[in-house]
Amino acid sequence: MRHLVATKDFREGFVEILPACIGLIPFGVVCGVGAAAAGADWIAALGMALVIFSGAAQILAVQLYAANAPVAIIVLTCFVLGLRFLMYSAAMAPYMKRLPVNWQRGLAFLLTDQAFAAAIRKFDASEDARGAGLHFLGSGIALWGMWITTNMTGFFAGHSIPASWSLDFAVPLCFIALVAPLFRTLPSVVAATCAGVAVLALAGLPMRLNLIAAGLIGIVAGTFVDLAGERWKAR
Amino acid sequence: MEGALKLWIVIVAVGALNYLSRLSFIAFFASREMPPLLARALKFVPAAMLTALVLPMVLTPSAAGTLAGLNPRIPAAIVAAVVAYFTRSTLKTLGSGMAALWLLEAAIR
Repeated sequence: MRHLVATKDFREGFVEILPACIGLIPFGVVCGVGAAAAGADWIAALGMALVIFSGAAQILAVQLYAANAPVAIIVLTCFVLGLRFLMYSAAMAPYMKRLPVNWQRGLAFLLTDQAFAAAIRKFDASEDARGAGLHFLGSGIALWGMWITTNMTGFFAGHSIPASWSLDFAVPLCFIALVAPLFRTLPSVVAATCAGVAVLALAGLPMRLNLIAAGLIGIVAGTFVDLAGERWKAR
Repeated sequence: MEGALKLWIVIVAVGALNYLSRLSFIAFFASREMPPLLARALKFVPAAMLTALVLPMVLTPSAAGTLAGLNPRIPAAIVAAVVAYFTRSTLKTLGSGMAALWLLEAAIR
């Protein structure tokens, strides 16, 4: 492990994700508060952060658990919410192919929303798959460590943070930081606009299916505009 | 079912399904060629998925109420998006977005 941590790529990945880690603080704290409010003990709250490692799924799981929903419903709902990871996995696949199988299996665990957005940018810009893999490992471990720390902080001390600070707004801001720079090409803008309209229009769907449906609609729309643009240029 | 046990079943099952979802296509395409149309479509995963994630969070009502009928989170998010577009910096996006929201919420209160 030490020889991996000592590499320049690992350290760069670790350091470059730190600003996003700051935005993760309120998210983790909210999860910890939610776990405490649902009556979980600290070991279960820790287990949730360690094993599930997904804020949206954790918040949903403790809400349903507190509402006394059956296990099958909680697991199914969280699975549907996690369907976006299938898309992240597919998007990372062409890059991860160049890494050894053990690396693929290890890095897959770290494929959260934030890590995905950072890693796909790095892999896209880099010819060196191993370097990008180490970069991903560094950012993923920083996010995981921060996640566990902030969940525990929220569990033990979160109730003392006043709601008037609006700290939860840091969560969407982190995603905005990652997504707004992508709005430089027409197909990306169309993909985002259609996904945005769809997620609101379909808000009535159960199990937050609107999220995955909106993602798919946006992707199809972006691809369509991309293909049409190419035809246009070819003429 | 006993509460603590039920919670641990949820933790393990959701954790395992999350991991398998994250691994799924990485493992599937490790030894197969990806169809070119799919590869093209996957370029739009970040733009579409992150927008779908972020929009409902922005539209969550503010603790301070509304400013002339408008949720102050919306203009704050727009400020942050403009800063993100030009600077590509997470820290500056966070700083400007939070500052804008705090100013607007202070104006309401």
